[in-house]
Amino acid sequence: MLILSIDSSATAASVALMEDSKLIGEFFVNTDFTHSRTLAPMIDNLLNVTGKSVADIDLVAVSNGPGSFTGVRIGVSVAKGIAFPDDLPCMAVSTLEAMAYNLVLTDCIVCAVMDARRNQVYNAMFSIEYGEVHRLCEDRAISLEELKAEISQQYEGKRIILVGDGSTITMRELMDLPKSVEMAPEALRFQRASSVALCAQSRINSGEVPKKSAELLPSYLRLSQAERERKEKQLADNKSE
Amino acid sequence: MKEYLSRSLEDTERIAREIASALKGNEVIAMFGGLGVGKTTFTRGFCAELGFEDGVHSPTFAIVNEYHGGKFPIYHFDMYRVMDEDDLYSTGFYDYLGKGILIIEWSENIIDFIPEDAIHIEISRGEDETARIITRK
Repeated sequence: MLILSIDSSATAASVALMEDSKLIGEFFVNTDFTHSRTLAPMIDNLLNVTGKSVADIDLVAVSNGPGSFTGVRIGVSVAKGIAFPDDLPCMAVSTLEAMAYNLVLTDCIVCAVMDARRNQVYNAMFSIEYGEVHRLCEDRAISLEELKAEISQQYEGKRIILVGDGSTITMRELMDLPKSVEMAPEALRFQRASSVALCAQSRINSGEVPKKSAELLPSYLRLSQAERERKEKQLADNKSE
Repeated sequence: MKEYLSRSLEDTERIAREIASALKGNEVIAMFGGLGVGKTTFTRGFCAELGFEDGVHSPTFAIVNEYHGGKFPIYHFDMYRVMDEDDLYSTGFYDYLGKGILIIEWSENIIDFIPEDAIHIEISRGEDETARIITRK
């Protein structure tokens, strides 16, 4: 089975081809260039250098969020565009879950964090045991403060590894906790299309049925409850003034 | 903080040019001031200084206009119809930050989400019909 995987959910963008669980090619850039201009040529180039064509693809996998609004839309649109003409099966995976696969051979707690601005991150926690990724909570938007409070109560004696473009700000927040927290090395820190493919493959193996391209949708995270409550209170205060 | 007095549209454009001339290229300019106070006139002078002379108009329906080809890329936002952070996120606002100059009309609507280091420009009416007070902080 040949999987074409796509990630453009934040600043980095990448595409990969995985054939029968073997990674045969990956194209990764981490620049400010516009994904709308670079993503399609990246796929074209990757198909060329690996000697494959769109007709060979059995599954299109894409990370559909959380992440940058524009980036997620571009990734999902490109996936739809490639899949639609030949009705190729598609699979959307969480950006955060895919990133956990960067560390799939390391037994640890993965704290996947993407910068959501104003001291908030998109986050989910995973544990990796013997090459298997287990989700510990749903994807969410959470303040660094809340995340710190939560981590301080849990994961006793575990190795906690940060992945994602929120790693640096999260590390700064967690530094003074008496926990073993480290940042993934640069090459494993960001969202990677190869990890999107691994994540999709693992879901296929556990029986998940791919979707049609029309069913692919971006998945944006709503603001955290705390943030909403704070805003509602603010509005109420403004009115009573 | 600096205060300018404008007596005409031309004055407003000139003041905008002065403010624009000192920028590095990645600033956020948050504009405040009601209907018809001269935000678009200000933006026109501002963009002209940065080498973008024509086609500057308020993106009330598009929400953001991109001006390329000048000294820096300029992203001109109108937040009049943006009501909360979900709206703001779906304009792509966060994706534009740091990629050029953002100049934002109706910043009142996104007051909680304006970056801390943004330059605030407040335009208010002066003594007579054409007079305006422009405050930069």
